Amino acid sequence: MTDNDFVLVGIKPIKLPETINPPWWRGRPLFSAAILALIILGCIFANSIMTKDPTFMDLLNYSKAPNSEFLFGTDTLGRDIFSMIWYGGRISLFIGVVATLISTTIAVIFGSISGLAPDWLDTLMMRLTEIFLSVPTLLVVVILQAILGKANTVSISIVIGVTSWMSIAKVIRTEVRQIRNSEYVIASGCMGGGFFHILRKHLAPNFVSSIMFMVVMNIRTAIVSESTLSFMGIGLPLEIISWGSMLSLSEKALLSGSWHVILVPGVFLTVTLMCITNIGNYLRSEVNRKESNM
Amino acid sequence: MRINRNPLLYITKKILLFLVSILILSILVFYISRKAPGDPLVSYYGDRTEKMSAAERHNTMERLGLNDPIHIQYIRWIENAAKGNFGISFKYKQNVLEVIEGRITNTLILGGIGFVLTFVFSLLLGILCAWNEDSLLDRIVRQVGTAFSCIPEFWFALVLILVFSVSWGILPSSGAYSTGMENDVLNRIRHLILPMAVVISGHLWYYAYMIRNKLLEEVRADYVLLAKSKGLTKKKIMFRHCLRNIMPTFISIMAISVPHILGGTYVVETVFSYPGIGTLSYESARFHDYNLLMLLCMLTGIVVIFFNILGQAINEQIDPRIKANEAVETSEVLSYD
Repeated sequence: MTDNDFVLVGIKPIKLPETINPPWWRGRPLFSAAILALIILGCIFANSIMTKDPTFMDLLNYSKAPNSEFLFGTDTLGRDIFSMIWYGGRISLFIGVVATLISTTIAVIFGSISGLAPDWLDTLMMRLTEIFLSVPTLLVVVILQAILGKANTVSISIVIGVTSWMSIAKVIRTEVRQIRNSEYVIASGCMGGGFFHILRKHLAPNFVSSIMFMVVMNIRTAIVSESTLSFMGIGLPLEIISWGSMLSLSEKALLSGSWHVILVPGVFLTVTLMCITNIGNYLRSEVNRKESNM
Repeated sequence: MRINRNPLLYITKKILLFLVSILILSILVFYISRKAPGDPLVSYYGDRTEKMSAAERHNTMERLGLNDPIHIQYIRWIENAAKGNFGISFKYKQNVLEVIEGRITNTLILGGIGFVLTFVFSLLLGILCAWNEDSLLDRIVRQVGTAFSCIPEFWFALVLILVFSVSWGILPSSGAYSTGMENDVLNRIRHLILPMAVVISGHLWYYAYMIRNKLLEEVRADYVLLAKSKGLTKKKIMFRHCLRNIMPTFISIMAISVPHILGGTYVVETVFSYPGIGTLSYESARFHDYNLLMLLCMLTGIVVIFFNILGQAINEQIDPRIKANEAVETSEVLSYD
């Protein structure tokens, strides 16, 4: 039997529109991902890319404009900017990731406790979060860092981390509150599952998709905070090269008119942030799409 | 959301929340600043502190009241503050109120005008984009907005200085006025242009985008169809109905944005060496100028917390009539509009 046996005579066959699957790359931030990957790889393999020693101060060639020897020029201390970009990118990205790890950990623990806690404790914890949230983050970071004194990579990650967990904690708390009375959570508790067991096995899989976007955005905020702090002179000192501390030379660069000292690290910073934002936006739309299907 | 029936109770609750927040903030700042390592005497005596003997040190600390346990210091501070006495600044050796007095107008000018302009422009831009949805202009604004939200404020400020002050030399790069020209309004305006541009551009795009989205949600509502069938023009529908409906949201966005714009102002002040309270609070934190730091933190905190609570209150009062899933999903309305 063929399909034609069932064709009715006299009825115009309706041609169903062919469902065209959009190409797999449509709507995905491939371009951003590629550039970000390029920057990250460049930073990881900085040692083989660098043409000079990034910490070496070449006093004969300071504030040189970009040329064939110094690809991005040299800064006001005579250091080669091309090498510094890759070398310093490590620190900037490292701080972004570590600060986000710290803030996410605090947020997950604080949010889950608040979500599982009795009402009065929950209200108290959320009010506390709101108070923290209402103070301009940058001001707190500036005060904390100014008070802690000379910064290094780890201390600045911690300062940024402990000041940026609030909004993630709020989202987690809301999610946990919705699922805390589900049978599987109660059952797990009855069988003697501890707080961290329940958190890992039952709560985390439920809220991980909704905080993904915020976590990615947190990396971005952390990188910006680090660079702003370093630029203002209370972040990383000049010896520790990062994109931010490279920009802290900009005042001298303005006086001597060496534009590349300001432009090059800033462009790298901005491009990285843009890529992260695009990826974050993609993650958010993914989550939203899943929600509306339910 | 539960509707609060007793307005008096509601307001009392909000005021209480405000006071408790301020109290907790003051305790936090007080403890953190005093527990932190660092020598407050350096800001008072400068390098002379190094030559002080232990006894001299002790006496000075005693005189400044820094030897008592922190909670006693705190209670003393609260008592004095209630009488309007906030102590003297260690660095400027002046009453802190006097120190701030000279600076606060500058910050208010920068932040206040920046705030108003941000919202005027974002409203205009939002309306323009919603009016021509998906047009070239709309898409450009969206792209530029995403790009600008990624540029760190301080770097944008640097680039502006590089272009306008260093390369072209048409605008001053720092300060609030040239020496001896304090009362020259034109001179002040010239000094304001660059910092203002940074303050505005940091937030404008995002708020314009939010307003655009709100308006588009509104334009897809049923009442627009009714208004059209009554024969109202597009302009009338937009300005009489849609715009009025998003006003509460707009105002709550404005209230919530105060802390962000304030925080941005502080960074901008530092880059442009603009003599406002942003630079002052940075200095005071760095040099352990306790009394000054306390007052500045309290001032910032009061403004920020007040506007946060205001924003929340407005949000709670807005009737969430149009939910996303109830909105008319057809693009019909728009194609006719």
